[in-house]
Amino acid sequence: MDRSFLADKDVISASRKFVCIRLATYENAEENEVLKGFYARGGNLENTVFTLLTPDGKTKLVTAGRSPVWAFGGVNGPGINAQPEESMKKMGQTMEAIALVYPGKGKAAKGFPPLPYLADLRLALNVTAADRQPLIVVYSKSAEQRKKMEQELSKVAWSDQFIGEAQYVPASDASEFKSVKNFKATSGFVVIQPGTFGLTGEVIEVIDAAASAGKLAGPLAEALGKHKPSQLTYDQHRQAGSRAGARWQSATPNTDGLSRRGVGRRPQR
Amino acid sequence: MMNRSILLAGVFWAVPFFSNAQTEAPKATAKAGKIAWHGTWKGGLAEAKRTAKPIMLVSAVPQCHSVPGVW
Repeated sequence: MDRSFLADKDVISASRKFVCIRLATYENAEENEVLKGFYARGGNLENTVFTLLTPDGKTKLVTAGRSPVWAFGGVNGPGINAQPEESMKKMGQTMEAIALVYPGKGKAAKGFPPLPYLADLRLALNVTAADRQPLIVVYSKSAEQRKKMEQELSKVAWSDQFIGEAQYVPASDASEFKSVKNFKATSGFVVIQPGTFGLTGEVIEVIDAAASAGKLAGPLAEALGKHKPSQLTYDQHRQAGSRAGARWQSATPNTDGLSRRGVGRRPQR
Repeated sequence: MMNRSILLAGVFWAVPFFSNAQTEAPKATAKAGKIAWHGTWKGGLAEAKRTAKPIMLVSAVPQCHSVPGVW
């Protein structure tokens, strides 16, 4: 995944005026179809997809492709994570321009902003390991209690202090924590340190499920501060993972490159 | 749809003028931080419809040669 455009300060600033959705390719058949609707050479979903869309999710506002390079220019292949300044600047400017056309409802929007949840705890451990971020699990067997917890945590999660600093997933059953060390089946906001390869995790702290937003911020900041991100480089990570036998099986088949290899092409007449 | 396209095209045309002003303005209020991602299409789309904000959509594979924990 791009580590240049999406780390640019102007792009990050502009992203606050967007709803940012990042999916894990090949992990959900329905989402695969959504992605293919925006970009799929030869009808095959590729490993990465990028585009900007209207608020109804139906219309592309820039050229869709494997990365922002398709829309804003830049480098493909070696050097992909050191994009030219002008390309990143163009992306930030384009997003600001789009935000002028679609300014959003602001405070007129009904309801409260939901937590930006990941799909499930297994995937969330992997994604947070990849992002080198802590994971916060909203855990309760009671759907009613989870809803109250979400409302309180949401007020904190979108604040300037915490926005983008952690990721979130709900859980309703203790069995979901089978790969998490030191978990005790008590309802609460469970802050987790993902393992290096995202196959395991370890509880950093559990904050009382009844905590209001005002009483969440302090303990949450303290718990997030205990997170220790992996210091491995990309290559070191891959090599160490291979040696350790860390393997990930995606939920649906990987179709990247099928078109280029000729598979899936229409037969020639 | 045509109206939206014309409006968008007009804004893009005007971008360089806006951007020069933005470049010279103090950016003390712009905290770099990180992008806050919704992790599901269903959840993100619902929020975009609720707020009428545009969408930035990214998808990637959280593994490299089957080794997880890396984009």
